[in-house]
Amino acid sequence: MAVETMTIEVAQASAIGFKAIGAGLAVGLAGMGTGLAQLGIGGAAVGATAENKEMFGLALLFTVIPETVVIFGLVIALLLLF
Amino acid sequence: MSSVNTTGPAPYIYSSTRMRVRKSKLIQHDEYMRMLNMSLPEIIRSIEETEYKAEIDELASSFSGIDLIEVGLSWNLAKEFQNVLGIMPGVIKKFTASYQQHWDIYNVLTILRGKTQGVRAGKIKEVLIPAGSLDRVFLDRLLAEDSPERIVEGLSSWSLYPVLEREFPAAMEKGTFGDLENELFKEYYHYVLKQTNSGVAGGKPFRDYLKLEIDLLNIKTVIRLFKGKAHVDVRNLMVEGGGISVDELVRLAASESMDEILEGIKKRYPEGPIGELMEEADKTMPLHEMENALTRVMLDQMDRISKRYPFSICPTLVYLKRKRYEVANLRAIARGKESGLPGEKIAEFLVV
Repeated sequence: MAVETMTIEVAQASAIGFKAIGAGLAVGLAGMGTGLAQLGIGGAAVGATAENKEMFGLALLFTVIPETVVIFGLVIALLLLF
Repeated sequence: MSSVNTTGPAPYIYSSTRMRVRKSKLIQHDEYMRMLNMSLPEIIRSIEETEYKAEIDELASSFSGIDLIEVGLSWNLAKEFQNVLGIMPGVIKKFTASYQQHWDIYNVLTILRGKTQGVRAGKIKEVLIPAGSLDRVFLDRLLAEDSPERIVEGLSSWSLYPVLEREFPAAMEKGTFGDLENELFKEYYHYVLKQTNSGVAGGKPFRDYLKLEIDLLNIKTVIRLFKGKAHVDVRNLMVEGGGISVDELVRLAASESMDEILEGIKKRYPEGPIGELMEEADKTMPLHEMENALTRVMLDQMDRISKRYPFSICPTLVYLKRKRYEVANLRAIARGKESGLPGEKIAEFLVV
């Protein structure tokens, strides 16, 4: 009986742990994806803005577009946790 | 710059974007056509509204007319190329610098030619374009030397010095620097071709482009020799490293007629822009039109490569080439107008 209780408790704790790992992976991997995308866009945005100051607004807009990816990750993480 | 991490694609993306923006600011075909209908002062005013404003404003008190345009364009070109070298990170900078060395050859030969013909140092300085590894201060030091021999000695730290040292006595004896120039350019192309293997992104497509550039240079020489009916040792004039071998070029140069030369080139390049040009060209085509058409082919080809490899060394080099021809075009328009040539005649000399 004690062994069975322990198993259920362990399983429940593991489930919470795995959820936390999943949430962490969702945000972390999405963040890396965003970073990779912003590497290129950011480089180009800085280059374009250096040549033409009027490009700043548009360049900033393009740079933040990949942020949506990390927000998707965050949403998945929140759904997992709550 | 060496302390900055310049690996990965970011430096290429950054530099390519900057060069693309600059390329988009270059003078367009329509603007050239408008300039052809303007007088010299109007052209100066028109140029002043573009990227040349700073130079024209600065020099307006010292020069006027055609001199103002000439000196302003040279200053702008040198400033622009030095600026490009300044913003290039890491390996791209090294590669761009080695490609820009042809300006060193131009400057050194201009100084040597000027000095041997007794031209004033100030006058020589006006036409120098310090866009390569030899900067303005170094060139000023060379200009201050009295004799050509001293100038050559002063260049002992230059990467092409061994060739200069080897060929200089013969050039002085003959009184012409043509062969020396040829040898310097041969060594330059050899060096740049070697640099394309240095691990720079886009090195391989650029090597292919360089081969095309060498081919076109050799083709131009062959056509010039034929049209000028010059009987010289062709082998010595050809630059090695191109797609067409030197033996083939020597055979082409020995052709009986222009058609035979065009046919020979067409056989080597049956398709693409060169093949098409050879199809269109005929033996009556004037030399300058043929040369301009070949230059246009070269620029188009470079554009294509840079679009295929957008984040590589290629967009930078395309911009440098286009900028160079923009200055050449503006100079042609200004000189043509100064000489009173009609607009249609000047347009034939433009590379647009």
